[in-house]
Amino acid sequence: MTLLRALSVSLSALRVSPCGVFWSVPADTLVEYRRVSKHYGAHRAVNAVSFGIRRGEFFSLLGPSGCGKTTTLRLLAGLETPDADGGEILLDGRPIQALPPWERPLAMVFQSYALFPHLTVAQNVAFGLEQRKRPAAEIAERVARALALVRLDPGTYGRRLPGQLSGGQRQRVALARALVVEPVILLLDEPLGALDLQLRKEMQLELRQLNRDLGITFLYVTHDQEEALTLSDRIAVMDHAQVAQIGSPAEIYESPRTEFVARFVGEVNVLDGALVGRPGARIAVRPEWMDLFAPGAVPAGEVSLPGTVRQVVYLGETLHVHVAGPGGQDLTVALRNEGQTTNPIPWRAGDAVAVAWRPEDLQLLEEG
Amino acid sequence: MTERPGRLLAPGLAWLALFFAAPLLMVAAYSVMPAAPFGGVARGFTLAAYARLADPLYAGIVWRTLWLATVTTLVSLLLGYPVAYVIARSGRWRRWLLLLVVLPFWTSFLVRTYAMIFLLRDTGLVNTLLLKLGLIQAPLTLLYTPGAVLAGLVYGYLPFAVLPIYAALEKLDPTLLEAATTLGAPPRTAFFRVTLPLSMPGVVAAALLVFIPSLGSFLTPDLLGGAKTSLLGNLIQAQFTTARDWPFGSAASLLLLLGTFAALVWHLRRRDAGPDPLAP
Repeated sequence: MTLLRALSVSLSALRVSPCGVFWSVPADTLVEYRRVSKHYGAHRAVNAVSFGIRRGEFFSLLGPSGCGKTTTLRLLAGLETPDADGGEILLDGRPIQALPPWERPLAMVFQSYALFPHLTVAQNVAFGLEQRKRPAAEIAERVARALALVRLDPGTYGRRLPGQLSGGQRQRVALARALVVEPVILLLDEPLGALDLQLRKEMQLELRQLNRDLGITFLYVTHDQEEALTLSDRIAVMDHAQVAQIGSPAEIYESPRTEFVARFVGEVNVLDGALVGRPGARIAVRPEWMDLFAPGAVPAGEVSLPGTVRQVVYLGETLHVHVAGPGGQDLTVALRNEGQTTNPIPWRAGDAVAVAWRPEDLQLLEEG
Repeated sequence: MTERPGRLLAPGLAWLALFFAAPLLMVAAYSVMPAAPFGGVARGFTLAAYARLADPLYAGIVWRTLWLATVTTLVSLLLGYPVAYVIARSGRWRRWLLLLVVLPFWTSFLVRTYAMIFLLRDTGLVNTLLLKLGLIQAPLTLLYTPGAVLAGLVYGYLPFAVLPIYAALEKLDPTLLEAATTLGAPPRTAFFRVTLPLSMPGVVAAALLVFIPSLGSFLTPDLLGGAKTSLLGNLIQAQFTTARDWPFGSAASLLLLLGTFAALVWHLRRRDAGPDPLAP
């Protein structure tokens, strides 16, 4: 009986595990989600999610709002509890569920910053160190260092209240408050969401640099695909409480596995495979990998579809030519802008064209 | 057409002038006039009423009033804070729980205070229950004690403590507690470092809302307290009724007003100053 149970357990492990019969944690894996689930009543927020985060890497959870990415992050922080049979999360190979949230060796940056409004900047940053009962002299020294790390002068800003700071400065304080405790992993929940574009770009570069310089693992939640591509070593794209695809930014962008991933990360033309001799399949081609030719002038070896130009949209760096393809399907072709006053593209609305791409730039999509 | 918002104030101002400022000025005037033998005041100027306030007998009443108001405030805060805390975290039930808090206001304060008498007297509910349970052999003297007055005042003013604390706690961003947690603070530490300091404005408002009416209370000590628990409010009431010493009653009233005013000034100064940004 016991033997049977053991056998069925290992068999179910075989079914669910992508890597083999036994769960094997690679030596460089810091965090391991194993079929982690979380329900709110009948609503499935996180559904049997499994993935690993490597030591020191910048790992992003990317997806639309409501896809479960924030809940996935909060489960690691202990701010949410997984379902009773909702799998487990390992930190350094040990189940983290045994630790209450305040004893987990991690830190978190919130979208709303969550700075304590009644404490000064220095007191905010010192908070975590005080909980860890560090001596006062060490706290003062580390607080000053952490503020300097996020480029805030401790002398100028240390005694200010959060209410006296700009949004960008508050974000830096929140970052310093989290980094100062030297967490094993830093959790960031849409930390740049409230900043304007210019500041966001600046902070993105700084976050990337901090991740590299400090060697701290970052788990980053965002709905901004460009941000995820810019920052991450690896991205897990989430959809409907599950991980749709995990990979490097290039893998995610260039080889999306599903139509959801293809559409969510960047722009894409999704075509019926029958159009190019692959009946029953769905294929994806990025607009910038397509080119336009006069009918009959398509270079040898390229796949092409006939169409009519609908309109040309000027975007600055690129031009988007919208083409009505076979059956009226809308195809978007991105052309590099080489100067419309000096070197204009020859296509106008109503022109008959051929939309062409190299066969290797075509991506077959899975269902889902 | 020019808007003149001043006009909108006129009815209210007239009302206040007639029913607040004028009586107040009259009280102030009475307090420095000699008493007429059968009530009212006679012509003349004297500070005799104020001199009498310094009499140890009356100073004792003032002291007892301050003390009882302070204890009432502290007990109300200690009882009210947990209630407000639970209501603020009770999700969709909070509206119903708030309704329960203000439910006593649907009945007259006088009726409710009489109900306390039925609870506390020798043959009252509390003593009967304790006797039946065999916990006591003879009825306890509960009524006409300072304890009864304290119980009555706390009962009467507890909602005034709960509501402002609730308002402060309800505004508190729960993310702040999550931040404290992820920074290593167990729930108790998070409460004392984050929740309590951030709800202090509500606590201070609650303290004032309980302390000020407690200072001037006369109904509760009159009904529930004995002769020994006479408070400033009872003293004032007696001067205008049985004792027929209007100047002394007026002087005592102004003293009470001064105490209330001092509490309010303290509160406003505290609020205007805000947290000191340069505090270490």
